[in-house]
Amino acid sequence: MTASPAPDAKKWLWLHREDNVAMSLFDFAKGSVVHIDGAEIVLKDAVDYGHKFALTNIRAGEPVVKYAETIGVASRDISAGEHVHVHNIKSLRARKQ
Amino acid sequence: MRELTGYTGGGLLPGIRKHVAVLSLNSFCNRAVELIAESVRGTVPLVHPFGRNEIGIYRERLERTLEGVALHPNVHSVLLVGYEPQSTAEFLAAIRKATTKPIDSVLVLESGTLNAVRIGAEKALWMVIGASEARREPISFQGLIFGVKCGGSDATSGVASNAALGQAVDRIIEAGGTAIFSETTEILGAEHILARRAVNEEVAKKIYRAVQANEEMAMAAGVDLLGVNPVPDNIKGGITTIEEKSLGAILKAGTAPIQDVLGYGQRPSRPGLYFMDSPSAASEVVTGLSAAGAQMILFSTGTCNPVGNPISPVLKITSNPRTVARMKEHLDVDISDVLSGNASIREAGDRIVDAIVAVANGRLTTAEVVGHAEFAPIPVGL
Repeated sequence: MTASPAPDAKKWLWLHREDNVAMSLFDFAKGSVVHIDGAEIVLKDAVDYGHKFALTNIRAGEPVVKYAETIGVASRDISAGEHVHVHNIKSLRARKQ
Repeated sequence: MRELTGYTGGGLLPGIRKHVAVLSLNSFCNRAVELIAESVRGTVPLVHPFGRNEIGIYRERLERTLEGVALHPNVHSVLLVGYEPQSTAEFLAAIRKATTKPIDSVLVLESGTLNAVRIGAEKALWMVIGASEARREPISFQGLIFGVKCGGSDATSGVASNAALGQAVDRIIEAGGTAIFSETTEILGAEHILARRAVNEEVAKKIYRAVQANEEMAMAAGVDLLGVNPVPDNIKGGITTIEEKSLGAILKAGTAPIQDVLGYGQRPSRPGLYFMDSPSAASEVVTGLSAAGAQMILFSTGTCNPVGNPISPVLKITSNPRTVARMKEHLDVDISDVLSGNASIREAGDRIVDAIVAVANGRLTTAEVVGHAEFAPIPVGL
């Protein structure tokens, strides 16, 4: 169930295969390169410890997936390597319509 | 697991502390409570700004919390400081019906605050001497209730400390114990997962209903829940939406079936895992879990939260190495080696169980020593 990181990759966590975001365990500078599951991802923003970055392109309105569950939808197009947070995700719950 | 000890007698459940509580029944009695506690070493003052003209769920929550404190297994004896005779006598009679522990009362309206202090201090003195003679005896997890809470959450909470706490909770339930988790706003977005774990359809419906009522309350107040929860320190820590916070938060409750949904401060009737429908601010939740009879609160934190409780020790667990470096004085269990890859979640869960046993047996928590004793008997937020 868990796509745990390789033993040498303690700078990020990819919790589940279904997840389209990973969690940073490092204060990454913009332009840092991470290798996840054979893919090379260039971080397009600084990504602080505990924050998320996109593993794939996520189009506006598509679900953002962590814990193999939807944690919200992209509020605009997100490309792989972008910081994913309040500026580009919206919650689907308990919002003023 | 190692041997557990506690104080038996007085109530149906064993205590892991033997507090002498001086409990205010009304805000006008707070001064007398403070002066009694200053005069008599070994007493625990319990004050709050309520006790007059509350209505509806607020009255219900206040009464249940004050009764829960008076009947609490960790309270060896209790001195009630009431304002006027009738309501004080009614409260005293209700408590006496349910317990054989030492309990007495003193009134402020009768002859003033200073006289109440003189009379009350002498009563409290003999309670402290009585409590000093109580000795620990072997107890088991079957008599223990644990409140389970996360607070000051960040992204590490949802991947490590809550998961490790969930392992410890599973062990408690397997050993015949009881655990209660809470915070209705923080199951929002994860309620479908919890509902699947309900013991029956009725309990599953109660879980959905609690979440729905919470969401409607936010909407009715014209509140964008996203502006209230996650809170700014959650967002700074990397949590983006309430769904994400909830999916990480529910890991702390482990994997056992959910027996029922409890009201704020309501004591569970049988062992097992329970969900308590409540708001989510730490002081209010911890007060409600304690009022429900929890002898200890297990508290997983990311960025840290210093909250404590006057009656129930609060055990703080973190997996964030930066928080360990910054806020050590507010922490009890450091499992930051999980995220550096040097310990498994299971090993971290074992370490939490060891700490639970030690604290049950009398080791003090940092919150007890620093003196954090927040008491908030009427929660009003989301």
